[in-house]
Amino acid sequence: MSVPSLNLDITPTFKVDVKTTENRGFTPEEVAERCADKVISISDTANPIIRDQARAFKTHLIKVLSFYMKEAIKSDRTTVYNALSNAGHKDLAELIRRM
Amino acid sequence: MAFNGNFMCTTFKKELMFGVHDFANGADTFKIALYTSSATLNASTTAYTTSNQVANGNGYSTGGESLTNVSPTVSGTTALTDFADETWGSSSITARGALIYNSTPNTTSISVTNPSVIVLDFGADKTSTTGDFTVVFPTADASNAIIRIA
Repeated sequence: MSVPSLNLDITPTFKVDVKTTENRGFTPEEVAERCADKVISISDTANPIIRDQARAFKTHLIKVLSFYMKEAIKSDRTTVYNALSNAGHKDLAELIRRM
Repeated sequence: MAFNGNFMCTTFKKELMFGVHDFANGADTFKIALYTSSATLNASTTAYTTSNQVANGNGYSTGGESLTNVSPTVSGTTALTDFADETWGSSSITARGALIYNSTPNTTSISVTNPSVIVLDFGADKTSTTGDFTVVFPTADASNAIIRIA
């Protein structure tokens, strides 16, 4: 009788990704792409019809996520603008508003 | 070059049998520390070490950052767990790899401090310059999740 065993090792193909920036943060598009990668994983060997549909959906998802991330950034800047303005830092608040 | 691949630490496998690690969201605190290419980390690594860790400052704090656990789940016959991506913002960091370790293990059956979980090899030095340094974990599914029991 064979005894089932648990496999807990990292596969040789496992790869952790590192993304970095220079003198800036990530753009909404870059973050949206990371987010879409978490939501949708498409195998290269999947049925071509399903694979193409999934890729098209992923492209659309990235655009939608990017748009709403930009909306969130704008809204957060409004909050920061008001916080700075109310604290008497009008010049700094104006700088944030113009970003 | 001391990093030579990704490893599930051997002592981690044993510690699972002792119930040392609880990956439920809000349970144990798992941290990720960054290391330079001089670090020697592999399957034999048993615990967190400060040796050859990225220097404190410039957006990095010694000991690394706490990860956000995604509670374990199952996909088919595979159990898996995941962490949220970790970003060191406004940082200037050069790192070749990382160590994930448990800073709040259950020591009921075994005496361990900051036991190691996984060694990550970035494949090459990765550098952020007054920018963001992000470790992106793979998709949390039965084929790709960072910790899977099949």
